[in-house]
Amino acid sequence: MIWLTWRQFRAQAITGVAAVALFAILLVLTESHMTSLYDSSGIVGCHGGACAGAANLFLLKLSSGRGVSFLPAGANVYVILYFLSVLVILIAPAVIGSFWGAPLIARELETGTCRLAWNQSVTRTRWLTVKLALTGLAAMVVAEALNLVQAWWAAPIGKAVGLGGSASIMSEGRFGQFVFPTHGITPLGYAAFGFALGVIAGLLIRRAIPAMAVTLAIFAVVQFVTPLWIRPNLVPSSQTIATIDAAGANVTEASITSGGRSTFALSAAAVPGHPGAWITSSDAVNVAGHAVSGTPAACVSAIPGDIGPGGSAALNNCLASHGIKVALSYHPVTQYWPLQFAETGLFLVLALALACYCLWRLNRRRAI
Amino acid sequence: MTAVIETAGLGKRYRKLWALADCTLSIPAGHVVGLVGPNGAGKTTLLNLATGMLAPTTGTIEVLGGRPTADPAQLARVGYLSQDAPLYTGLSVADHLKLGGHLNPGWNAELARDRVGRLDLDLRRKAGTLSGGQRAQLALTLAIAKRPELLILDEPVASLDPLARREFLQDLMEIVGEDQVSVVMSSHLISDLERVCDYVIVLVDSRVRVAGPVDELLATHHLLSGPRRDPASLPDGMEVISASQTDVQTTVLVRTRGPVLDPAWTVSELGLEDLVLAYMRQTGATRNRHLEVQK
Repeated sequence: MIWLTWRQFRAQAITGVAAVALFAILLVLTESHMTSLYDSSGIVGCHGGACAGAANLFLLKLSSGRGVSFLPAGANVYVILYFLSVLVILIAPAVIGSFWGAPLIARELETGTCRLAWNQSVTRTRWLTVKLALTGLAAMVVAEALNLVQAWWAAPIGKAVGLGGSASIMSEGRFGQFVFPTHGITPLGYAAFGFALGVIAGLLIRRAIPAMAVTLAIFAVVQFVTPLWIRPNLVPSSQTIATIDAAGANVTEASITSGGRSTFALSAAAVPGHPGAWITSSDAVNVAGHAVSGTPAACVSAIPGDIGPGGSAALNNCLASHGIKVALSYHPVTQYWPLQFAETGLFLVLALALACYCLWRLNRRRAI
Repeated sequence: MTAVIETAGLGKRYRKLWALADCTLSIPAGHVVGLVGPNGAGKTTLLNLATGMLAPTTGTIEVLGGRPTADPAQLARVGYLSQDAPLYTGLSVADHLKLGGHLNPGWNAELARDRVGRLDLDLRRKAGTLSGGQRAQLALTLAIAKRPELLILDEPVASLDPLARREFLQDLMEIVGEDQVSVVMSSHLISDLERVCDYVIVLVDSRVRVAGPVDELLATHHLLSGPRRDPASLPDGMEVISASQTDVQTTVLVRTRGPVLDPAWTVSELGLEDLVLAYMRQTGATRNRHLEVQK
């Protein structure tokens, strides 16, 4: 059974390895220039406040130069590569699910070869178990390989961001919506889940091409829903109340209704004492600690006509002077790995559940 | 006589449509059994149930005394070749033989290689480039090299040209002669069955119309023709299968163990095809009449 699995998977495996190799070559070729920029930016051996400056300098240099000689001037190769590489890791599980997972059973049903496969001296359970295990493992290896190569390549960027480098669009922290699911061990969980999703779509729809499309669609929904509603609740979050100033909070919207009443909402940028923490919610509270949304009457006049992303200092100060603070829910950086394990575990368990259902259904609901 | 396939009240429903309903039959071992019947009689459904490709909706089916595909040992005892002879188009002939070797503990590699060599199949050729006849032959090779006790063939020659059909059946006969394997094959082509089968089952509307060894069936069925008379006046022990009458003449197909003694009848022998067709054509009216005859 292992031989047949490998023989049928061979072409797909070669494609997968070629994709990883291409990805690695692209990053290896551009890595030396990034490292030399990093070494010459003064980050190595910096002290205190100088570090953030040096980190910003590095990030700016990286995203402004062309970096590689064969590219036209002005092409920010590192910005392109950074986002491309993150995107590749992000969509790899969906691609694996639709190209490796969906045809696994659907193709056999479509071409009738299931009649050949299931009439050898091997039970369907064994047939599917071996296929799921080997191909699923390969899916996880490919996803994690992409992630490790990218993590190695982007290590200088990560260090610079960690030192306070915030001057670049690459400055997303470890909890970032695109960084978190593409680093650490989460790609393992997503790859297993994407693959199992493809297999079950193929089994239920019984045709490979529609199953591939459905796999892509469902996976996209999962990737959209996870950071919004699932990830924040995987591990209990911490709560604190901070002043508007300390939380770096800004009023993000404020409106005045016809009756002269006004509501506002604010958003915090930092948790005092917990640099790099992931803020999952920030709400305005009054002195008593109760949530408020009505703007104090004295501050209505401070509402500017247009609140930009920088907020309004006058409005912020006015709210602060009326005792309004920010209640924060957040995950400190120490919860990075617990969150990684929880999310990976969740998707591995989902993948396993889907695999078990496939096995059960293949045996119980026989229909060809 | 032990049974290779035994069913009781077997039924398979697709949504509201019964493909096979309340089918009870027993197929004896040691024969090449031809399963014939009109389209929709449930032949393919029956064979799919026997190979475990489908699960029954009602009733039970036992193959060689066990539940189909219950375990690897049960799977090893049954070889199956379906109508379109599915093969992996991207895999070579050699790959298919390797597949058989890896997935069947009882695999006879020598037999497989010999057969492929005799058929002039290039081992490196992809299965997708083979002709229909070659595909059927390769699929048959896979089915027999696992050394099954029972070989189930579903319309194995339906898509083959007459020459390939004859070669395939000839090969099948050789295998049966060498291996003592029981065979159950369905076919529309009664003339083909006549060449290879020694036992026939006629299945109409999920019911067995007639079943028995071919030579016995041929020996006990006679076509009688003579001056017009009421078929009901035939002596006891003669079962009327079909009857047709003109103004002056009556022709009846009867089943009887004894000889036909009445000199008014001209007795002619009939072939398997005529016999099977008579049973397949048998309408409700005819059947009722033969019930009356039996009274």
